[in-house]
Amino acid sequence: MDYFKTLRNNNKICSRTISEDHSRLFCSDFSIRFVLSGSEAYNLGRRNLSIYPDSFIVLNKGAQYSTNVVSDIPVQSFSINFDQKYVDDFVDGWRIDDNKLLSDVGSESKQSFEFKETIYPFQGDIMYNIFHLKNQLDNGLKDEMLINEYLHHCLINYFRIYDEEILMKAEKLNFLSPITKTEILRRLNLAKEYLCSNYNQNISLDELAKYSGLSITHLLRTFKQAFNLSPHQYLTAIRLRRARLLLKSTDYSINEVVSLVGFECPSSFIRLFRTNYNITPLKYRQIA
Amino acid sequence: MRLRYTTAFADDIEKQISFYTEKLGFKVADKKFLYNDSECPVLYTSSLDLFLIVANPGENSNSASYIILNTYDCLNDYHTLKLAGVCFNKEPQYLPMGLAAEFFDPGNNRVLLLEERNYNKS
Repeated sequence: MDYFKTLRNNNKICSRTISEDHSRLFCSDFSIRFVLSGSEAYNLGRRNLSIYPDSFIVLNKGAQYSTNVVSDIPVQSFSINFDQKYVDDFVDGWRIDDNKLLSDVGSESKQSFEFKETIYPFQGDIMYNIFHLKNQLDNGLKDEMLINEYLHHCLINYFRIYDEEILMKAEKLNFLSPITKTEILRRLNLAKEYLCSNYNQNISLDELAKYSGLSITHLLRTFKQAFNLSPHQYLTAIRLRRARLLLKSTDYSINEVVSLVGFECPSSFIRLFRTNYNITPLKYRQIA
Repeated sequence: MRLRYTTAFADDIEKQISFYTEKLGFKVADKKFLYNDSECPVLYTSSLDLFLIVANPGENSNSASYIILNTYDCLNDYHTLKLAGVCFNKEPQYLPMGLAAEFFDPGNNRVLLLEERNYNKS
């Protein structure tokens, strides 16, 4: 269902279904963007990021970006733009409640408050809350107090994800200097984005290292420290997740799914799927 | 053996029944003699497997229950109940089992409004 809603506090919610779209845009507010079916490509400077239903992206106020959708099946996107004052008030409250978090974010002033514009996992509480909100809006919810209750919790969920995905991962890196940790994590996030966006291609370690600006040795060592997985294991996990999405939401045959997500051999895909999810792909499709 | 009844204690039975039926949407199923001398209203929600007995604590005036109500959407029900005048002592917060808010009923029983979430699902 498509709609664009501006609340009295200037928070905005947009739900749209698109098959083809090429837009060059400027982000006027802090924004969290989801794709509930299909995929949407974002171009941020030199980076190309593809968002799938298992991930989301945030854009800071003032971000310049372009989006690209070319899809046979309709792409369902859902985004929330938070008014700057709403975010500032939230951050103030968050710091008072839990000042262990976000210690490195916007410490100089509210104006410098910026999140890392990268791919985050769409799972857990944020997924439940977004689906509830969308379900309510699709059914005509007009009560702005309740809508803002969902938005408030969406920010709580995002801040926790930010803490896990950025602050805690930087902390896990074996470097003494906080500046080095931040810079290495920035490069590792480039590698992560590359894997998430090109998961169905043959990706060599050499090109991954070159894209992220790290040597192969450095990439292998630090990637494992931050994500607890090697780049290859991380790529396999993405492929299996995306295969699960295809099994659940399309009629593609197993062989087609295998090649669409970048596996070469159906038998190794089935083995990996069963090892990870304790169920075969066919059985998963039947119960999904 | 199976769990059949749980109890919401209350000094003022009528006030307690009004709270559960008007604010929380329970229905009165029946009345039963839990003890020899006191007839207790029996309430239910959607399930007829588990009933809530509203009972006077009698001599055990400190008795109170901890009742967990399951909800599909905690934020929605929290908002609806707040508008209906229910005072929450704990706003919705994230627990290992899901999202939950807490209030006390007129009989001072703790009631947890819990939306169970499967965090292993991605």
